[in-house]
Amino acid sequence: MTVWNRWFGRGPERSSRPPTPSDILQQKTDAKVSGRLDKDVRFLQDLFGRNDDFVIRTLQMFDSRPACLLYFSNLVNRDVINEHILKPLMGAERPRRGLRDARGMKQFLAKRVIYYGEVHYEHRLAKVAEALLRGETILLVEGLDEALHLATRNVVERAVEQPETEQVIRGGRDGFTELLATNVTLLRYRLQTPNFRVQMLTIGRATKTKVGVCYVEGVANDTLVQEVLDRLQAVDVDGVIDAGTLEQFIEDNHWSPFPQIQNTERPDKCVATLLEGRVVILTDGTPFALIVPAVFTQFYQTLDDYTERPLMASLIRMVRIVALIFSLVFPSLYVSVIAFNPELIPTKFAVAVAGGRAGVPFPAVVEVLVMEVTMEVLREATLRLPQQVGGALSIVGVLVVGQAAVAAGFASPITVVVVALTTIGSFATPAYNAAVALRILRFVLTVLAGIWGLYGVMLGLIAITHHMLSLRSFGVPYLSPIVPGDWQGLKDSWLRAPLWWMPRRPRHLFPQDPTRLAPDTQGVILQRPSHPLDPVRPRRRR
Amino acid sequence: MEAPRFQTVTFLEATATVISTIIGVGVLALPRIAAEAGNSGAPLVTLLGIVLSTVGLVLVTALGMRFPRQSPVEYSERIIGRWPARGVSLLLVAFFATLTGLAAREFAEVVVTSVLPRTPVEVTAIAMLALTAWCCRANLTTFAYAHLFYLPFVLAPGLVIVALSLKNAALLNLLPVVGNHPDAGAIAAGALTVSALFQGSFVVAMVIPGMRRPRRAMAASLVGICVAGGLYLAIVIATVGVFGAAATAEFLWPTLELAKTTLLPGEVLERLDAAFLMVWVTAVFTTLYSTYALTARALRDLFRLGDHSLWVTFLLPYVFLIALVPPDIVRLYQVIEWVGRFGLWITIGYPCLLWLVCLLGGARGDEPHAN
Repeated sequence: MTVWNRWFGRGPERSSRPPTPSDILQQKTDAKVSGRLDKDVRFLQDLFGRNDDFVIRTLQMFDSRPACLLYFSNLVNRDVINEHILKPLMGAERPRRGLRDARGMKQFLAKRVIYYGEVHYEHRLAKVAEALLRGETILLVEGLDEALHLATRNVVERAVEQPETEQVIRGGRDGFTELLATNVTLLRYRLQTPNFRVQMLTIGRATKTKVGVCYVEGVANDTLVQEVLDRLQAVDVDGVIDAGTLEQFIEDNHWSPFPQIQNTERPDKCVATLLEGRVVILTDGTPFALIVPAVFTQFYQTLDDYTERPLMASLIRMVRIVALIFSLVFPSLYVSVIAFNPELIPTKFAVAVAGGRAGVPFPAVVEVLVMEVTMEVLREATLRLPQQVGGALSIVGVLVVGQAAVAAGFASPITVVVVALTTIGSFATPAYNAAVALRILRFVLTVLAGIWGLYGVMLGLIAITHHMLSLRSFGVPYLSPIVPGDWQGLKDSWLRAPLWWMPRRPRHLFPQDPTRLAPDTQGVILQRPSHPLDPVRPRRRR
Repeated sequence: MEAPRFQTVTFLEATATVISTIIGVGVLALPRIAAEAGNSGAPLVTLLGIVLSTVGLVLVTALGMRFPRQSPVEYSERIIGRWPARGVSLLLVAFFATLTGLAAREFAEVVVTSVLPRTPVEVTAIAMLALTAWCCRANLTTFAYAHLFYLPFVLAPGLVIVALSLKNAALLNLLPVVGNHPDAGAIAAGALTVSALFQGSFVVAMVIPGMRRPRRAMAASLVGICVAGGLYLAIVIATVGVFGAAATAEFLWPTLELAKTTLLPGEVLERLDAAFLMVWVTAVFTTLYSTYALTARALRDLFRLGDHSLWVTFLLPYVFLIALVPPDIVRLYQVIEWVGRFGLWITIGYPCLLWLVCLLGGARGDEPHAN
């Protein structure tokens, strides 16, 4: 059998590479701090010695006992180390009673010497190594069988700024940053209920990315929270680079063009969704939070819809829906009407269209597809270019190329109008990923329109809507609350009803506490308002 | 029928399923069928047809509510014995597969005649059938969602056409109500053909096992057939009222002709027939969707398989072949009439028989699970 294996190369691969630090750590998971300084330091030096930013500072403590401070110089706050750790360690007064035993020494160090908030002891060397990588400073002392951890991590942090991808007219100007701790702060500051929970997970073998699962206990459904935790815990990958990569591991349908998880940079939006009974997933290292579950209506709603008054909000929301539908079907309708059913449009306009298209040598579908692709290229180019150049490019692209294409007889003026309207329509969709989904489908519909005219467009639309109807996000039907119909939810779908008229949380999320508004609040609001400054009354009072 | 966790269909969804299943490609030819049978008595013929199919639907629904967690294939075995029931179920499968194929062919003919004259009818038919088959793999919950979602698009064109064309209608065209030279035989035959257009409503038998509260199935069926029948009746009245019975009988698809006479106020669109036809694609799709799903699920139950999606793919070539059998449009309508009349034995006669045996033998299904 061994001969067989050798012949066919089946045997276990003989690994010739030297063990990596993580191999060593895995082999010696239960290695303990010995208390002999040189031995422990050598162990850690073997692990990290090849890094130039790994600092081993040997020192003599106040009682001339040798000790060693270890840290990664780029990860820690050096001022703190100098001022609050090194200085007291070396200069503290020697206690009157001699500290013979290790236990007394440990107590003395933590309680009397070091002026630092987050301090704890650890005896496993593997944990010590992990802590070093996290940015903690380790103090090893001769004769102590535990290492002192000091949370001195200092990572460059961007200031809290206005989120660039989701601007609002009215609403908070703060957005998430890359640091998970800051983001949790932003949420906690807005949501001061004891029921707010943040459950931390670590995902990624190499990146050890911290992931916070946030929800409001008593509102979010338990099974939903459990499912989110289960799906996250099942992810075993070397690195989580961004919330976007995490999203792809936990979404329901991986092949659907439609996003089933919403992302946002806005803490106020997160708080609103948390209070609806959703779960927010924060990932360390990215300013984007994931919101699950997500239904389609969420992708055309913005915070402005709720901060503005209902009538205005509803109108603007309807405009957005029109833009959405435009960006999906406009080119395909144009192609099918021009190429198959010109009798539908009024004769005068049909003549104008035909006149415009007279010099164009291609079928309408080719013309539209070429222009659409050009537009997509322009859009992508503007996105990737530095901002200073981007503005110039978009003007050159849109004005000059469009005008030149018409003048060259390459496209008809109406095609340019249609393509431009479509592109603008797709920009009006607040969620970038949903806009992309519709953009992809627009091409499919245009091709179908080129083959079968309106019939093809209808078949395509039926396929798309049926797909959306069959889609689920964590079990929630994607087109809720429209189908399956829910009257309470419909008030906040394509219209936005007054807030006092929506006393319940969305039913499709099965919140544990379904009511949002106290029953008498609605009555108080609907009562006839008193008029303290009625022009008649103050005069009477006089 | 489905696993218990799929018992999600609500009253509204069941009603929508019945309505949008009934309203299909038949609406285009219906006024001709009715006018041929009863000339100015066309509405009467339609009404009789609706009454007859209501009887059938009530029977099917009553049976379904008696066996609220079983499909027709399953409970028929329980009522009249395994092998006879299996034979009839096989016939049922064959009938609904044929119905699907013929409806697809009929609509493909309409599309090719009116909007895509240079496209082969096979291509239009297979496109529609392929879409239907692709959608059919979904579960019953999604099936009911789809019917609810498409309902407005199914109802809207008919209602708009009726509303816009009534100004051209003349009451005189509809008189006498019983028709000139009434012939009971012709009226009865016409009523049978009209009632054959309602056979898709048998789908309620498939929906009941997935309903959250099967007790409301009867209400869903009745509301459904009232809405769909009301729309059909309104379309017949409008068509005969506008064109007169003699002209209506001459048109191949009088409803489409009616659509051509309508005009939107403001003349935004010069002609509406193509637009209406396109929205009707939805109506045809929902009908095909129901009959196709019914066929696939009946086959699944017949062969005791856990999943119907295997049959969905397997059925497609057969349904497509059936769609290609009639050589031309004249023969197509002969075949449709013949198949439709034969189908009445399955969708009305067979439930009648099952119901009688039930009454005599007292067979009853399990109580629905508490939900």
